[in-house]
Amino acid sequence: MPLIRKPASPPETPAPDDRNIAEMLIEGSDDERWTAARRTTLLPEALPLLTTALSKERIARVREAIFTALAKMGSSESAAVIIPYLRSDDAAQRTAALDALRAMPGAAAVHLPGLLKDADADVRLLACEIARVLPADDASRLLEELIERELNPNVCAAAIEVLAETGTAASLKVLGQCATRFPEEPFLAFAIKTARDRIGSR
Amino acid sequence: MSDYSKKRVLVIDDAALVRTYYRSALEARGFVVEEALNGLEGLEKVLLQAFDLAIVDVNMPQMDGITFLHTLRSKELPISGIPVLVTSTESGMQDMAAARRAGANYYLVKPIKQETLAEYAAIFCGAAR
Amino acid sequence: MDDTQQITEDEFKRLADFLYRRTGMVFTETKRYYVERRIIERIVATSSRSFAGYFAYLRSETRNEVEHLINAFTVNETYFYREDHQLACLSSDLLKERVTAKRPGDTIRIWSVPCSTGEEPYSIAIWLLENWKDVDAYDIEIVGSDIDTRVLEAAAEGIFGKRALMRLSPELIERYFHGLDDERWQILEDLRQSVRFSRVNLIETKETRPQGRFDVIFCRNVLIYFDDESRRIAAENLYDNLLPGGFICLGHTESMSRISPLFEVCRYSGAIVYRRPQELRA
Repeated sequence: MPLIRKPASPPETPAPDDRNIAEMLIEGSDDERWTAARRTTLLPEALPLLTTALSKERIARVREAIFTALAKMGSSESAAVIIPYLRSDDAAQRTAALDALRAMPGAAAVHLPGLLKDADADVRLLACEIARVLPADDASRLLEELIERELNPNVCAAAIEVLAETGTAASLKVLGQCATRFPEEPFLAFAIKTARDRIGSR
Repeated sequence: MSDYSKKRVLVIDDAALVRTYYRSALEARGFVVEEALNGLEGLEKVLLQAFDLAIVDVNMPQMDGITFLHTLRSKELPISGIPVLVTSTESGMQDMAAARRAGANYYLVKPIKQETLAEYAAIFCGAAR
Repeated sequence: MDDTQQITEDEFKRLADFLYRRTGMVFTETKRYYVERRIIERIVATSSRSFAGYFAYLRSETRNEVEHLINAFTVNETYFYREDHQLACLSSDLLKERVTAKRPGDTIRIWSVPCSTGEEPYSIAIWLLENWKDVDAYDIEIVGSDIDTRVLEAAAEGIFGKRALMRLSPELIERYFHGLDDERWQILEDLRQSVRFSRVNLIETKETRPQGRFDVIFCRNVLIYFDDESRRIAAENLYDNLLPGGFICLGHTESMSRISPLFEVCRYSGAIVYRRPQELRA
């Protein structure tokens, strides 16, 4: 048979020397920066290193690895490094930042109340999706509070989208009030009715 | 009124309520609707099936709408030639400019009324004939 | 709640939307009755008082309930030649693509992870011996890995019952197995020796890295059950375990769109597979 017999040991992908990780992360080739980003969390000074690397990095794959390293650290501080990228003009950067925050629900939750009150409606809107990864009760409470004060129809719609999944009977009142605030927006009327039906069918 | 019963529209948006709203608007006028949750799933769909139009949101997990557009336009015909209507909640100029650079056929600002969506879907499906 | 009850259309949609977002699996109205019965079975099995109570439990991802629910309405059996359209894609397209940069005598490495009790890696071996015309021109190395050492022991032993062999013709069974008794067959020694088994946890880089780089990875029905953080880590590990331009095949109900943006989406023979990009753009 042409299939080869149990090979002794496969060719390993070479692992970098820990001393060089910091240097490689900033100055290495694309492959070296990727590999370094994946190993940075082993270093005590990981957070400042990753913060600097993220600010300079232009290759999507390496940015992804940096975000994963920050998510793996899972601290309020590592989440804080990611949050500014929610404001990026580049949609791909916003997506990468949001996906990373979703992968660290506990740490992202610390920042969520602030993000839901952000002056920028686009940030409030993205923050609604972070709420989805929290326990249902926490998510619903935060989103209900947001809807009560929110004037932007798209931010309300984003909150309603998540409440349709997490909400309970307690959400119905806020949803009803929201409907009266945007009589000119048929999509909101539709979204609110659908969410109410899904939450309150029993 | 034209018959759109053979026109296939791919709706790419991560919000389930948005997809449902667009679907009901389009199906009421005879369009056939497929859904995708993000740009990557959108690419899977266009590789497997033919579409006359894609309606694509900007902010989505894993792959945003602008990256989807760039990737779509880099494929071979006929896939690269699918008309794309970009929607975004953001009226900011940067998304609109990025969508145009990436090869969007048109840009609509959310929230979008069902009549508006159907009207533009009809225009772009007609243009693709 | 008991198993005579029903769930409403809105409840069904709420759950269907959640599963679609989480896994990419689509549950339409036409499948509703079947899916609904399975949901109610899980509601009863988890002693949930109501649909709402069960849905909250499901969302909280306690005790892998998403996996239990999906297993309730998918055939999760592992048997030879399962998803053979992917094996067809492997021999007709993926390997053809991979060997363009290789010379005769070079090694082609294929990884089955998780491999469970070995049906998949042995199926790959048999399929290639039977269906790939260039099988003699290259050294093909097949590795099967799993997190569970008990299934790995069984895989190395290579003894299978009737159900595992149900998709194989009598000729194939004759050619690659010897009967132990009326109910059990063992993979021939030669073939057993040509598949290497190893214990690997996909989210532990120190365990995935020593497996080396592969031309094709089969990674079915596991990533979709990981949480977001584990998905990211596993996807990056798999990326490192692929040669540039190498392919990864997921289960037919899975989509990389729920897991990671690192891979390119490709279509071959009507199947979607994913590829590690050849070279990075500068």
